[in-house]
Amino acid sequence: MLFKNHYEPLAYAIFIAAILAAPLVLDEFWLNRFSKYLVFGMLGSAVALSWGYAGILNLGQGLFFGAGAYMLAMSLKLASPTSLQQGSSTPVPDFMLWNAEPGAPTQLCCIVKGSALWLPFQSQWFGVAMGLAVPVVLATVLGSVVFAKRISGTFVSIITLALVLLVRLLIIDAQPLTNGFNGLTDLGSFHIGDFTFDPYGLESYYLIAGLLSLVLVGTRLLISTRAGLILQATRDDEVRARYLGFNVPHYKTFFFVISAAICGVAGMLYVLVSEFASPTFMDLSFSITMVVWAAVGGRASILGACIGAILINMIEAKISETKALVEVWKAIIGLIFVLVVLFLPRGLGGLAHDLCRGLWRRRVSGTSPVGKTGTISHPAA
Amino acid sequence: MAVTALLIDGIGVDFAGLKAVDNVSIAINEGELRVLLGANGAGKTTLMDLISGKTRSMRGRVFLYDTEITNWPEHAIARAGIGRKFQIPSVFRDLTVRRNLQVASCRNPSVFANLRLGFSAEARQRIDQMLAVIGLEDAAETTAAYLSHGQTQWLEMGLLMIQNAKLILLDEPTAGMTVAETRKTAELIRKMRGQHTILVVEHDMAFVREIAEKITVMHLGQVLAEGSIAAIEANPKVRAAYLGSKGIA
Repeated sequence: MLFKNHYEPLAYAIFIAAILAAPLVLDEFWLNRFSKYLVFGMLGSAVALSWGYAGILNLGQGLFFGAGAYMLAMSLKLASPTSLQQGSSTPVPDFMLWNAEPGAPTQLCCIVKGSALWLPFQSQWFGVAMGLAVPVVLATVLGSVVFAKRISGTFVSIITLALVLLVRLLIIDAQPLTNGFNGLTDLGSFHIGDFTFDPYGLESYYLIAGLLSLVLVGTRLLISTRAGLILQATRDDEVRARYLGFNVPHYKTFFFVISAAICGVAGMLYVLVSEFASPTFMDLSFSITMVVWAAVGGRASILGACIGAILINMIEAKISETKALVEVWKAIIGLIFVLVVLFLPRGLGGLAHDLCRGLWRRRVSGTSPVGKTGTISHPAA
Repeated sequence: MAVTALLIDGIGVDFAGLKAVDNVSIAINEGELRVLLGANGAGKTTLMDLISGKTRSMRGRVFLYDTEITNWPEHAIARAGIGRKFQIPSVFRDLTVRRNLQVASCRNPSVFANLRLGFSAEARQRIDQMLAVIGLEDAAETTAAYLSHGQTQWLEMGLLMIQNAKLILLDEPTAGMTVAETRKTAELIRKMRGQHTILVVEHDMAFVREIAEKITVMHLGQVLAEGSIAAIEANPKVRAAYLGSKGIA
């Protein structure tokens, strides 16, 4: 059985229709803003996949997001007019000039130490490929080591948390190569052939909405496969799954990598609409915020976590811009989180599921004399 | 001549110098139901750990039919055909009973082979039959966490049966059960017999009488005696070491 009930495919359809129709009511400013929220929605779903379905609470999801973002941003930085006007045959990012030693050649190959790493990024598609490949490779290596060593629970969270902070530090430290804590700004635009994606345009919005729909449907299908079912089994009881003959680390690593790939794509899309990449993507607070989105939306629901992310960001934008609440908006967001955890442990997704099931039952019990409510049966002794 | 399903050849392991299992050799024929008896600390569960790969042996070898499986990783041993039921019942608590059985019915263990939706008509039918065998038809859509203790144990046995394990290791299957549940478990084990070779660790002597053909008694990590219930009861070494002067209750 693919879906637990008839409402679930309907919910996906309504959501996808809604994001496709949203430009009808949004102005240019809000369209750009909403695109970012959709990207966050994608992150929420990625967290739900790894936390809710694989049982891996990754507190370093920002690592994969940041990796995707930086890879594309490097390509877009080289495509920026400021990089092309340095009077050399190769584009040279402006910050490299500021950081170069006096007399260094104004060429991408050798202006600062290690700048040759940037050379292949002159191709935008190389950046895109790396934006996917780097998170995937990182997650594969990390997952293979951590899960094969049977590290689980809090320890995985601590390792991922430490790792994202480490990488953040490395990026800030490599100032001549990465522009340090300033990040990569003043980027060129993404283009396919002659077509340029305007960050404030409909085309960028639809690229993101389309990819989000794909991610949602794809992930939902993925967890409905047998592999997805076995994954949930390993989450419930790793030892039992192992003694049924499943190679548990393989399953965990596979879905961990999928989650990382989604984050990488989200990172690239975020660069597309925000026009910068910065080490703040790898701040601890951002990775934890993603977990909060998924918790509020419901970590056991791919769509719920996505909607949770979008809703929280919309509420955050509204109240942080309301004059009376400017001082306290963070407290309000915190309060929402506390209330959800206390009263809706399965998040909004769980609430919606229960409501739909209630409705469904009422209809079923209306037609048959015995309602299917007594699911807990007693030992047939 | 009967085929040997499980051959344990002089296996042993030490824990900090203590010989938990020492030079144990047991041969179990295909289709046989063997009961493993012994006082606490006799090494019964450790022996199961050695067979199923949870503990690495220091000496000796284990064969499943013609395949040597000594110290293979646990999932490989399980794939080779050994199913294990734990002392503390373990099932997938957040999945329904049916889904539990679906997981165990996946023939191919690899991730990529399982990237497909749904189950074949044959698999669905097998799952329905298994639900009937373990008596959980009415609870098929119940989340496993809500099952009673007995039901959880039967579900776990169902997982092993549907997995098609050649050899099933049952570690105290009736621990904590009511009399009625114990009777039903004995019935279930009798159903498993014939299709599977079974090795049971059990303390409940009434239950052992009900199911056992041949008994192996362990004491201080070694095999003390082997034989039918009558032979074991009459064995003076067993009486002295384990059963006390009163014999099997």
